[in-house]
Amino acid sequence: MPTLNFVLRPSILAALAFSLALGAQAAPVRTPNVEAELVSAATSAAPGAPATVALRLKMREGWHTYWQNPGDSGLPTTIEWKLPAGVTAGPIQWPAPNALPAGPLVNYGYEGEVYLPTTLTVAPGVKAGRDLAVAARAEWLVCKETCIPEGADLNLALPVKPGAQPHPKWGAPLAATLASLPKPLAKWTVEARGDGQQVQLALTPPDGAADPGVLRFFPFQEGRIEASSPQTVSRDGAAYVLALPVAYQLAPGFTRVAGVISAAGGIGDAKAATIDVPLAGAVVAGPKPVDAKAPTLVITSSAPGASMTLLLALVLAFVGGAVLNLMPCVLPVLSIKVLGFAEHHDSPSTMRREGLAYGAGVLATFVGLALALIAFRTAGEQLGWGFQLQSPLFVSLLALLFFVMGLNLSGVFEFGNVAPSSVRGWTSRNRTLDAFGTGVLAVVVASPCTAPFMGAALGFALAQPASETVAVFLALGVGMALPYVLLAWFPAWRRALPRPGAWMVRFKQLLAFPLYATVAWLAWVLGTQIDVDAVLRLAIALIAVALALWSWHAWRLGGRRGWQVVALAALVGAVLVARPLASPPPADASPAKASASATGPWRAYTPDGLATLAASGPVFVDFTAAWCVTCQVNKRLVLNDPAVLEALAAKKVTLVRADWTRRDPDITRALAALGRNGVPVYALYRPGREPLLLPEVLTARTVADALATL
Amino acid sequence: MRASVFIRTAAALACAAAVGIAGAASPGAAAPDFTVADATGKPVKLSEYRGKFVVLEWTNPDCPFVRKHYSSKNMQDLQKEWGAKDVVWLSVNSTVQGHYEYRDGKQMQEWMTSQGAAQKAILIDAKSEVGNAYAAKTTPHMFVISPEGKVLYNGAIDDKRSSNPADAKTANNYVRAALTEAKAGKPVTVASTTPYGCSVKY
Repeated sequence: MPTLNFVLRPSILAALAFSLALGAQAAPVRTPNVEAELVSAATSAAPGAPATVALRLKMREGWHTYWQNPGDSGLPTTIEWKLPAGVTAGPIQWPAPNALPAGPLVNYGYEGEVYLPTTLTVAPGVKAGRDLAVAARAEWLVCKETCIPEGADLNLALPVKPGAQPHPKWGAPLAATLASLPKPLAKWTVEARGDGQQVQLALTPPDGAADPGVLRFFPFQEGRIEASSPQTVSRDGAAYVLALPVAYQLAPGFTRVAGVISAAGGIGDAKAATIDVPLAGAVVAGPKPVDAKAPTLVITSSAPGASMTLLLALVLAFVGGAVLNLMPCVLPVLSIKVLGFAEHHDSPSTMRREGLAYGAGVLATFVGLALALIAFRTAGEQLGWGFQLQSPLFVSLLALLFFVMGLNLSGVFEFGNVAPSSVRGWTSRNRTLDAFGTGVLAVVVASPCTAPFMGAALGFALAQPASETVAVFLALGVGMALPYVLLAWFPAWRRALPRPGAWMVRFKQLLAFPLYATVAWLAWVLGTQIDVDAVLRLAIALIAVALALWSWHAWRLGGRRGWQVVALAALVGAVLVARPLASPPPADASPAKASASATGPWRAYTPDGLATLAASGPVFVDFTAAWCVTCQVNKRLVLNDPAVLEALAAKKVTLVRADWTRRDPDITRALAALGRNGVPVYALYRPGREPLLLPEVLTARTVADALATL
Repeated sequence: MRASVFIRTAAALACAAAVGIAGAASPGAAAPDFTVADATGKPVKLSEYRGKFVVLEWTNPDCPFVRKHYSSKNMQDLQKEWGAKDVVWLSVNSTVQGHYEYRDGKQMQEWMTSQGAAQKAILIDAKSEVGNAYAAKTTPHMFVISPEGKVLYNGAIDDKRSSNPADAKTANNYVRAALTEAKAGKPVTVASTTPYGCSVKY
């Protein structure tokens, strides 16, 4: 009796009993990329009462379906209901979407599993005691890189009877979905003002509201807000002001700002809420969004630095500037200058004039840097602090400068003897100009160093209007120039300086060594930027320059005229050897580079990779550059420390190194997303939470503290 | 990965500089000029078609929305209809070289031939420069350019946002509407719509 045998199998019996108990029966439909089914929140429906059902879509790993506004591409999921008499269906109640990057474009949708709930209204006249045959044709576009339109005819048998219970399988997840649906934002004051190519959306929390964390706005309609352009957050008093970029293809009739605000830290009583407010002011179509050169990183659109005020940025910049004087790149240069105080016995007025000229040189250079950065960024370049050092030519010239200064201190030549007498006379007459030049030099040599406090201030500065950017750079300059200017201004303070004497010659010669060390390090930077041949070229060029200076000096001291020829020949040789450094081959020509960022447990940075990694677990990113001294110190002392690496491994943290040695718009954008504009930056990306920024001067302790938040 | 991004950046910068892509792609603005190789390797320069209406069609055979308009013959019919009226139809594939959906000139030519396509040229925008210059977002994404080199229409091919081939014939075709109005010397009523389809594979 095969039939009986079949029926009586215990497992089949159990399944049968279970499914009878469940009520509200459906079967999932599996397409190649999605598992779809209609599910009910309750075991049954009651006449005259609403019933919640949902389309459940479970996407294949890495694939997504779309929200009601799909963003830059894609298509929203649709449900066409086929309902028995007496039953009507409302619209899809869309859960808050996620921003899903597709190259430089951004889509709005869902990954993993999503429930799209709909309320069915069952008329009072519908008879109890039988099943409602709820049917629907659902269609969706499912995409990873490739898009596939799919659909399914789905059925749900929903018993009509009183005493509905939450469905044992779907009741809980559907209740969670319903609870997290974005609802109109209560208690908060929301105002939207059009401001040219931006909409300023001011969200003022009620007293005692928790910090909403990372905010992002998703417009209900297309042609309003550009999906792929970054949204920035700033604080205006209590309000969070989201600057929303107006769509490049602005659709007519933009009179209200309506959409979903998602907040990583929660807003209202959920993770997202809807808003619909009138748009005051006027908007114009935004700038062209697609930039295939630089895929956007959409891990966080609100900068942790966004809560900074201009005043705080100015203070930080000032302190950062002052600290800059103590950084290894600046200290030797400044020491020489300060020694001058001990040497010279000029009138106080001359000293003050020189002090002010030095300060003016520092400020002028900072303003110049600020203006250059603004100009480049307006032109669409992705640059940040230290961008000069991303150019191999600049690195080579800086190495040359430090080397020549070193030779001078070592006594190989003296500027006075090398320069033609006309120039010599001119510089000594123009001590003021000379001091101004020292100011310029100090800023130039300071560029490899980012002092503590500087990073946050500069990150803030570059996200602001031009006037505020310049103000922050000025504050940095004032901070850097002030100690020297004060020493020049108050002769009494200089008594604290050591007395001049024979020791000064030795000290001067000693100072040459940090400069040579800097040259060695810059040569290494050049090596990581281009290749090992470049280092040799630089070294030969430097030696030729040394020969040129030495032989020229010999000639000036009364040597034979042949020395002059040797000097000129050596100089020409130096230029010829160094010429290829000005136009280096593209990055791929240096196999050393790719492996430089991906060593040991460290992976090389890619925006897509980071987004994927950060979604699945904690990621520690070391934003670094070969030319960044602080970065190298932190790397040697902390990040290479086996104990630190062990602690990171224990928490299963993925290690990523973003190497900014050469220009890299992706990394610049990632830094901007963190509210920064220079390296070092150490960020711990935590799934579902804002990235945690560690201090610029890293210790094993700060890393451990950061890991403790996981 | 990083190296490839850098190469792309460098290449894009170099080519943008060499080609001199300029201008914006919003209606009324000057259409960004470009020079890019067609499927046979011959360079095609947009501004050489001054004096004629030009249609730019962003395409990718691996996109179901593109296949919708080809399997329904909608796209080929448009190409023939307007080609006969001296409109220059250029199909652009901006899929970046290296993406698994990338097809070279020969492969694009084969696919278009198999579909009975009738465009003037198939442009292989392997570095995505043209797509970038026009901010092309989807396949298809359509542009109509006036004989003076101004953008007349930028947006979707029609108003039925679906991947169902049956919808192509019943939809209101924005490109046909724009060309009909512009050819009659009238202003284009619907000059900008949100395009729909797959993302351009930058």
